[in-house]
Amino acid sequence: MNAIKLFVQRRYPSFLVYRTATTKKKIHDPREEEKLPIFQYPVSKSSDRRVYVWGLAETGALGIHMPRSKKTGKKSYRNNFTFVTYPKRSSFCERFDVTKIACGYGFTVAAVKTSEQHKVFGTGINTDSQIGYHAPRIGKPLEMLLSPAPIYIPYNSLETKITGLAAGRAHTLILTDNEGVYTLGNNAYGQCGRKINANEEYRGSMASHNIKRLGKEKIIDICCGQDHSLFITESGKVYSCGWGADGQTGLGTYENQGFPAAVKGDITSEKIVKVASTADCVLALNDKGELFGWGNSEYGQVPMATNQQQVNMSYALVKFTKGLGKIVDVAAGGSFCLICNEHGDAFVWGFGLLGLGPNVQHAKEPKQIPTPLFGRNEFNPEQMVTNVACGIGHLAAVTNNGDLYMWGRNRHGCLGLGHGKDQHFPLKISIGAHVLSVDCSVDHTIAMCQPFT
Amino acid sequence: MQKLQLSLAIIKPHAVKNPVALSYIRNVIKNSFIVVKTRRICLEKETAEDFYKEHIQKFFFNRLITFMTSGSIDLHIISHTNAVKLWRKMLGPTKVYKAQFEEPNCLRGMFGISDTRNVAHGSDSVTSAEREIKFFFPEFSFYDWHTHDEITYRKGPIIFNHHLFQHVRKL
Repeated sequence: MNAIKLFVQRRYPSFLVYRTATTKKKIHDPREEEKLPIFQYPVSKSSDRRVYVWGLAETGALGIHMPRSKKTGKKSYRNNFTFVTYPKRSSFCERFDVTKIACGYGFTVAAVKTSEQHKVFGTGINTDSQIGYHAPRIGKPLEMLLSPAPIYIPYNSLETKITGLAAGRAHTLILTDNEGVYTLGNNAYGQCGRKINANEEYRGSMASHNIKRLGKEKIIDICCGQDHSLFITESGKVYSCGWGADGQTGLGTYENQGFPAAVKGDITSEKIVKVASTADCVLALNDKGELFGWGNSEYGQVPMATNQQQVNMSYALVKFTKGLGKIVDVAAGGSFCLICNEHGDAFVWGFGLLGLGPNVQHAKEPKQIPTPLFGRNEFNPEQMVTNVACGIGHLAAVTNNGDLYMWGRNRHGCLGLGHGKDQHFPLKISIGAHVLSVDCSVDHTIAMCQPFT
Repeated sequence: MQKLQLSLAIIKPHAVKNPVALSYIRNVIKNSFIVVKTRRICLEKETAEDFYKEHIQKFFFNRLITFMTSGSIDLHIISHTNAVKLWRKMLGPTKVYKAQFEEPNCLRGMFGISDTRNVAHGSDSVTSAEREIKFFFPEFSFYDWHTHDEITYRKGPIIFNHHLFQHVRKL
């Protein structure tokens, strides 16, 4: 049959088909050149953001697709994890205007600039419904999301804007501009700010809780430890709820706290502008640049005269930080604390790889990390550390020139140095953008950046 | 041939809630030990206090109890000729903040978050293993284990049942 077709096609001889070819040269018109569009690379707006992610990709917390090897057998357990040991640009954040981002234990939440229902997206571990209810098959909620999915929150108005995000071990706090705070996830210690129900099933739970106001005041900032939550109100008061076994709620007890209550102790008369907590130790900063602390102090993070290991009330660390100048940013890790002052110097104390040398050490007093390690030298005398962050075992500092320096324990590649070894001193991370802020968690890190041009 | 030793492994709530960590830990347990029995339970406060009564004077007692009662935990009776020591060696030092630098590749160094959230519990001696197994598995008979179960598990043939997550006799 094919042979016959060929024969039929060839019946028309090819010489019948001809085309007119011209050799006339086109005359160049100078006016035409002006009309041509000018091509140039796009110049980014100042509001453009790039988000870089790195660390353990196995949990899906990075929200990027990593090819994985095929499973063998009916049920095989995984022991070769997929890591991202160098900063990788998040494709999700290219498609949406991400304004805020927060890392929890194996999950990430991101707020998107929109006036539609889905303002917050989450990816990663979801065993406690900390990133909402996602069930493609009815009755079978997903335990892990490998790519970002929208979180349903019952907002009163779609005009509501997300002004803050915080994530703990298994709970998420979402701060809105005029609807208070929405909480999701595990409430076994009361970290969601509602009544603790014993034997509550968190897997596949659709519950979200709204905390409108605290002490008749608007909430302006939030912070999450692993299993506790902290809120700052307009007048600078700090409220806390959640796990209090180390005193990390600062309420004068070691009990779990179901509804947010005002932190007791030295900060009650102060206007607090920032609180920082990653694990069980909390640092707070007031408007005068003075430091306060409470919570776990097993490694001397909140040094007390009596060598107490659990501090259950806020305690002024003014004497401890004497001579360090006005403090502008604080970060509390698992067993150490990191602060930076208005001159752009970084100080560290506690236990771990603090960035002071190759040995794991215990610093009882704040020790300055040499400034040349952050790039301050004769050619660059203006380099200052402006922003600090801590994970459980790793530390990060952002300078005013948009450089990111990281050091500490490199758990699952969370330092972004391109390898899996621990880092003893601050080292610049190669990111092709101006870093604005960095968010660390247990085993992954996310940097919010601005393009260079 | 050396007799099998029993030990109790308890996977703590934060590791049970992390599918990646749990998968890795289960892989380690399955490949290095014979799993005799597995159960997932939710601890009550009184039970936890009773179980950890040796720590009642320590400052971290309340922390430990509130943590252990915060979610479901996995109990595994594991057996090996050197079960107690081997499991504790795999876990690494108790304090996570120290373990992550001393032994970065032990389970606590990899998945521990804080000194209390230290992935798993392991019995510290043969006698305490016996006490802990009796505490959580009152129906587990040590008499039966010593008279005939032990030799079955030692000489086989046994296969691993993924559904129960324990080794069973091959029929």
